[in-house]
Amino acid sequence: MKRLIPVLLLALAACGAQPAAQQAAPVGLTWAVETQPITLNPQQWSQNKARLLVFNQFDALLTRNKDGSFGPWLAKAWKVSDDELTYTLTLRDDVTFHDGTRFDAASVKANLDQFFVEGYNAAVAGIQLRAFKEAKVLSPTTLEITLKEPDALFLDFLASPYAGQISPKSLKSAKDLKFGGTDLAGTGPFILDRYVPGQELHYRRNPAYKWPPAGAAHQGPAHLAEITYRFLPEAAVRVGALTSGQVQVIEGVPATEAGLIKNDPGLTLQTALNSGTSFSYYFNTSRAPFDDQRVREAFRAAVDVDAVLKAVYQGTATRAWSIVGKASPFYDASLENTFGGDAARANKLLDEAGWKQRDAQGYRVKGGKRLSVRTIASAAFIRDRRDILAQAIQAQVKQNAGIDFQVKIVDQGTAQKALDDNDYEVFENSRGDSDAGAALNLLLPGKGALNRTHFSDPDVEKWIAEASRTSDQARRKELYAKVQQVVVRDKAIVFPLYVPADQIAAQKSVQGLGFHPASGTPASAYDVRIGT
Amino acid sequence: MTGRLAALARLGVVRRLGTGLAVLWAAATASYVALLIAPGDTVDILVGDGADTPEIRAAIIKEWGLDRPEIVQYLAYLWRLLHGDLGRSYQLQRGVGEVLATQIAPTVQLTLAAAATGVTLAVVIALATAGRGRAARGVASAAELVAVSVPPFLIGIVLLAVFSFTLGWFPVSGAQGPSALVLPALALGLPIAGVLGQVLRGGLERALEQPFAVTARARGLTERALVARHALRHALIPAVTLAGWFTGTLLGGAVITEALFGRPGLGRVAMEAVTGRDMPVVMAVVLLSALVYVTLSTLLDLAYRAIDPRIRG
Repeated sequence: MKRLIPVLLLALAACGAQPAAQQAAPVGLTWAVETQPITLNPQQWSQNKARLLVFNQFDALLTRNKDGSFGPWLAKAWKVSDDELTYTLTLRDDVTFHDGTRFDAASVKANLDQFFVEGYNAAVAGIQLRAFKEAKVLSPTTLEITLKEPDALFLDFLASPYAGQISPKSLKSAKDLKFGGTDLAGTGPFILDRYVPGQELHYRRNPAYKWPPAGAAHQGPAHLAEITYRFLPEAAVRVGALTSGQVQVIEGVPATEAGLIKNDPGLTLQTALNSGTSFSYYFNTSRAPFDDQRVREAFRAAVDVDAVLKAVYQGTATRAWSIVGKASPFYDASLENTFGGDAARANKLLDEAGWKQRDAQGYRVKGGKRLSVRTIASAAFIRDRRDILAQAIQAQVKQNAGIDFQVKIVDQGTAQKALDDNDYEVFENSRGDSDAGAALNLLLPGKGALNRTHFSDPDVEKWIAEASRTSDQARRKELYAKVQQVVVRDKAIVFPLYVPADQIAAQKSVQGLGFHPASGTPASAYDVRIGT
Repeated sequence: MTGRLAALARLGVVRRLGTGLAVLWAAATASYVALLIAPGDTVDILVGDGADTPEIRAAIIKEWGLDRPEIVQYLAYLWRLLHGDLGRSYQLQRGVGEVLATQIAPTVQLTLAAAATGVTLAVVIALATAGRGRAARGVASAAELVAVSVPPFLIGIVLLAVFSFTLGWFPVSGAQGPSALVLPALALGLPIAGVLGQVLRGGLERALEQPFAVTARARGLTERALVARHALRHALIPAVTLAGWFTGTLLGGAVITEALFGRPGLGRVAMEAVTGRDMPVVMAVVLLSALVYVTLSTLLDLAYRAIDPRIRG
């Protein structure tokens, strides 16, 4: 022991003497991110929080713009036949994978066919590619894809992380294909050269890169020679690492820390709304009490949403008015100011619905039963302080209308069991699909995979089906507006709360940070540079 | 005579190995059963919040062999375990053995550093304060109480705020060399130093009141030599008994510490596996912890003999 103490002291002193904060070389930077990706294979991608990494290493065939239209990327042009069953892609002829393999029509076909290899990705094969029939190589730069039936979301698939192109050589020989990693060759502006699980990802620039998507801020190779993404799940630690200069960029800035960053003249803060659906409470219409539309409307009227959001998110949250998020081109603004914050109306509706008596705790009662409703959320999916938000809503509905709202945060298995047994009243969810229509397909039709309201309506199903078949964006907007009006206004099966957003905070010297236009999540590092 | 002793020793070793294996089997089985009866089925977990269609479910059931009877799945699991195959992670798309292998070194590094920090601090403080004036003891024991009662998460945040964000002495994250290990090891080691320090000081003070201490003083031994050569040994016995407890504290605390400091390691893997119900990973971590406990308790039995000659006879 006597010998150990001086050694330990020496070690402490030695550590202190080293410059702790790594001085960033002017050509590289460190970016602290909240979430460690569970896979680095773009075709297995499932976490919106990990989306910012995908397009460093990989490129998709198309890119999607903010208004929902598409632009060229690895495919220079595309043609859709009049029956919307044949897609002809004209590919760039100057693209090579990181392993030197040439990118051509055959490699795109290999990537598409890969989804149908057993055990690779049944979910994408069954949803995004359910209409896919076959891909034919017409020439090295021309690929013809045939569908079994029209699918309005097929172009969205070609612009999604799933369409990230992997070298056919990697598809055959990667040690752990479904996990991805350094031995998966893409065509992107950066090459992944180090992955330390639980700690960081390190990319170096792809010097040959000259095929950025339409809309990129520059051409040629990326500005940064290298970039490190460090995983720091704790928000306060990320912010501390940024303010002390140990990292140059962070994503995921909670409302509680936003003020601190805004007040620091050396830092910048940017926010963008996510695409997809709003964070909403979906009412289970198959069970009492939410089988009664008056109770559903009363629940919404009992909550002063603006006050709740202000209290929980300190004014940084954007209120949602529809199931479709505000950033989506399909958002129906006519629904604004149509619900919430009317306690008198809530009480009137509940009286009419027969919930007239009150028990000792002040909750409404009918036929000896308390007006109780439960939300059952899986702890794994709680983010953005949604548990605190639920508690604030709980207080409001109790105080304003005598509703007993129980917030149950449980493990994923228990949550799933409650859903399977139809033993819940509220289902909370938001989806980050770059095309909100993809989310509505799952949430609203009677047989939709995520239809937790048990609501079905022939008109809604007809409109959604038509919107899924046509690629006419104006017509889709019209149809989705009708859908939103029915589910939000006429039937009140959903209670939209806020539009999820992403934040990036950075040192002032970091330029070119931004968000992916279609998804609203942080963009790749391609345009990022250290300026003055 | 020596032959019989050797046989006895062999018997002891064999028996100990046998119990160890039985404990491991029980741990494997208990975790298997616990996850089996926990709500929600495996297919649901594998589907997650993604798309859920009968075709996708069928594909998943086929891929993971979930259509076999439970007892067959259990036996297959044990059989694979015997061959050192821990299975495949549901979420991480990799073999569990590989996941653990890449994450074990940083955790071992962290827990050893924390244990060394904790033990060193405890011994130093106990030696410095045992039997001394009231003020010194009061300060030390208050500090120990704080270290024990404040959650490690908070200790970590405070250490970061002071030594990393403000003073910039140590980096916040990663396993980049020894400087990145200092704060996590302190955050994890302080609660151990707190408990151990109290126990050691108590033991030392009791030992110094024993008749042998009086005899030793009468022989002319200095107080320092008395403490170092005789009393510390007595005080160590209860402290060593606590080692089992602090293995648990270290493994549990590693979960929080690793996430807070952005360090790789088993704690983080375990936490993500439990929330995502990634059964193969959870079971492997349980098995590994059982292995650590079994190994450690065997070593402790031997350590008692070394410290206290009375047990040897």
